[in-house]
Order: sequence, then structure tokens, then C-alpha cells
Amino acid sequence: MAVSGFEGFEKRLELHFFGDDFQLGLRKIDFESIQLVLEQVQCTVVSAVGNAYFDAYVLSESSLFVYPTKIIIKTCGTTQLLKSIRPLIFYSRLIGLTLCSCRYTRGTFIFPKSQPFPHTSFKDEVTYLEDTIPSNLCFRKASIMPSMSSSHSWHVFTATIDHHDQDNELFTMEVCMTDLDPILARKFFRRPDDGKTGHSAGKEMTELTGINDINADALVCDFAFDPCGYSMNGMDGDWYSTIHVTPEDGFSYASFECVGSVNANNIGHVLRKVVQIFRPGTMSVSTTCSGYSNEMWKQMATAVEPLGFKCRSCAMDQFPAAATVVFQTFTPRRKST
Amino acid sequence: MAGSSEEGQVIGCHSVDAWTQQLEKGNESKKLIVVDFTASWCGPCRFIAPFLAELAKKFTNVIFLKVDVDELQSVAQDWAVEAMPTFVFVKEGTIIDKVVGAKKEELQQKLEKHVATASA
Repeated sequence: MAVSGFEGFEKRLELHFFGDDFQLGLRKIDFESIQLVLEQVQCTVVSAVGNAYFDAYVLSESSLFVYPTKIIIKTCGTTQLLKSIRPLIFYSRLIGLTLCSCRYTRGTFIFPKSQPFPHTSFKDEVTYLEDTIPSNLCFRKASIMPSMSSSHSWHVFTATIDHHDQDNELFTMEVCMTDLDPILARKFFRRPDDGKTGHSAGKEMTELTGINDINADALVCDFAFDPCGYSMNGMDGDWYSTIHVTPEDGFSYASFECVGSVNANNIGHVLRKVVQIFRPGTMSVSTTCSGYSNEMWKQMATAVEPLGFKCRSCAMDQFPAAATVVFQTFTPRRKST
Repeated sequence: MAGSSEEGQVIGCHSVDAWTQQLEKGNESKKLIVVDFTASWCGPCRFIAPFLAELAKKFTNVIFLKVDVDELQSVAQDWAVEAMPTFVFVKEGTIIDKVVGAKKEELQQKLEKHVATASA
């Protein structure tokens, strides 16, 4: 492993709000304010698109999704994601919205020593979250979900008010992949002086790698970084998906995230396509369902089995009035024994 | 002439009549037209708006039109606009290119390309 390199593992924050205006809600926050939030985190917008349901931003470090009552912000590298909470609470209050739930998740950093405060350790992150989140979000829990290998675990913090209505049909899937197949990873490098914009080079990668086949109905907003790296957001009605790739050998990383319905049975198909695009040496799949059951994990294991991936660990944890999280890790069969 | 005061501006079309008129006028002039399909509630539209205004100042031989998809729903439907912002490039009545999303570099590069072809 390289001594230091780009940290692919993202930090992810999901905030839910309530208030009188459910129609536009958070989408009314002006762009200057969003920019100020992103400045705190230390990233910028590289491309963006909106539909009838939400706005999706590709950032210099990952992605931001703004729904009327929900914000999802995911950033990689050495960004200071948790610093976005205070300004987001402030700007949402200006438009009459109040925070009612917060969920922070991340994997295990490849280069933990490079992380700035408050991301220096999970303990520091939790302390920062505890201090930042309004006291009425009193149902809180922090947990590190283990895998068989100590180098890979799933960090979860949730906080919520007493009574928080949630869509019990929705689930979120977060896939983190390391040790990508080097031949496949090479597709996420640009040719020097290709004369293309990051947008057109990104579009080419989307097509060349088969990312556009994951969900053919989705509108894709993509970007290729120079000299390498790739980000995309997909929009399919009110559902988002997002992919981020750090292809450099030694610390290669790719993530896929999407929302889906617990009643639809196509998620296995989606995961299979993702695995085929990256062929990772190690993969973790975290599914979060609102409510107190989470059966999604069975589908995941069955889906990647035919591709030679074996489920090495499976941990489940419940979070007060918030969600049930299942964290699974997979490696190819040949790597076992 | 009305055209001269509009030069360098993004012209908002607030009725179907105004839209049809601007489009016809633009097509007759044989200039490149860039139509920005936008929405007041769309954050990415607000992100790109200042940049579009700058481009309009810079590319004075291009006509920039702006259509609010809520205000002119029928136009947005006819033009199959599903995501905002959508920029449609029109030349003499024909759609020659499209940019979906707020993509600064891409928008500028396509503008430069089509302006070059137009004057070649």
C-alpha cells in the first residue's frame, strides 16, 4: 500500500427536516448559501442537474443531493464533512425547516492519519456530532459494525427526534470497493491533453465502462477528473444513484450508492452490474432500511455468488427510531483460504 | 431596433407568443440560438445563471433565450425537457446540440464550436 494517496472512502451525511413547506423546502436555499456550506466542507460544484423531485450536484469531492425535506452529502479525500451540519441547520431554519434526523456513515479510511479534525477518529467525529446536533434529536447511537477483517468496518451515528415519519419502503445501499481490477480501473484514466472537457470525458467513461447500463432509465450527470478519477449522479424519478472512482493502483477505490424499494427485486441485478464494472478485491455492502427489519442482505449474497464473490461477514445493528443497518463484506472465492 | 438592446442579454420568454416570436426572429437572422430551459425551484439553474449571463455578454452574435418550464409548460413538453437546466442549440429552425445539466465548461466549449462552424 502506498504511504499516502487519495482517500477514496467517503463520509456520508443524511439530514431530514420537517416544516410547513414540503413542496420546495430545502430546494429554496439559494446557491450562494450552498456554496458557503461547501466551502466549510472544502469542496466545490463541478456539475449539477435538477428534476421535478430533487437537485443533484457532482462535487470536486463526491456528491450532494437536495430534496425538499432531505439532504444527502457525501465527500471523500480530506474534506471536513461534519462542518456542513451547522450551516445547513442555519439555512434551513431561515426557510422554516427544522432538523429531525441525522445519519452519518463511513467505512474505514485507507489513510486515517491524513484526516483533519473532526475526522481524526470516530470518537472525535461522534463528539463533534453530539455537540453540533440540536438536543431535541435525543435518540442517539454510535456504533462500529465489524467485519471478519479488522481493517474494514462500518461506522454509523444516528440521531433522531422522538417521532419521525419515514418511508418504510425505501432502503439505501452503500457499496465500497477496494483493490479494483487494474485493467478495468485504467478506463478511469484520461489520455493526456485529450482536449475534452471533464463533462465529455466523463460521458465517454460512463459509456465505455457500462455504467450507463446499470439503470438505463436514469439521467446521468457525470464528470472525469484530470488526470484520473470519475464521478456520476444518476436520477430516475425521485431515486438517485451515485458512483465515485479513485482508480490509482495501490489505493484504488470505487463506491456505488443508490436508493431502492424493499419491494422491488432488481437490486441484485444492479449490484451484479456494479461488481462487473470494477471486479474489486474487497467489497462491503451496507444496506439501511427504515423500520426494524432488513431482509435486503439475503438478496446481496445471492446476487454476487455467481460472480465468484463470497460473503465473508454479515453484521446487523438497530438504531433508535431510525433504521436497521446490515453490513456485509465480500471477497472473490479465489482470494479465500 | 429591439434587437440591439437585447444583444448581450439572456432574453426571458414569458408567454408562448413571445417565445414563438423570439424563436422565429432568431431563425430568420440565421444566428445561433441557445435556449435555457430553467425553473425557479431548481438549484442547479441558479448555479449556472450568472455564468450564462457572462456568456451572453461575450457571445454577442448568439441569441440567448430563457424559458421557465413552469411558465411555459407546453413549450417544455414539446421540447421534451425532463431535467433542468437543459440548453438547446438551434440554428435556422434545427436543433443542432443539447447540454443537459449545469456544466460550465461543456456549455462554453459547445458554444465556441458552433459559433466557429456558423462563421466558417
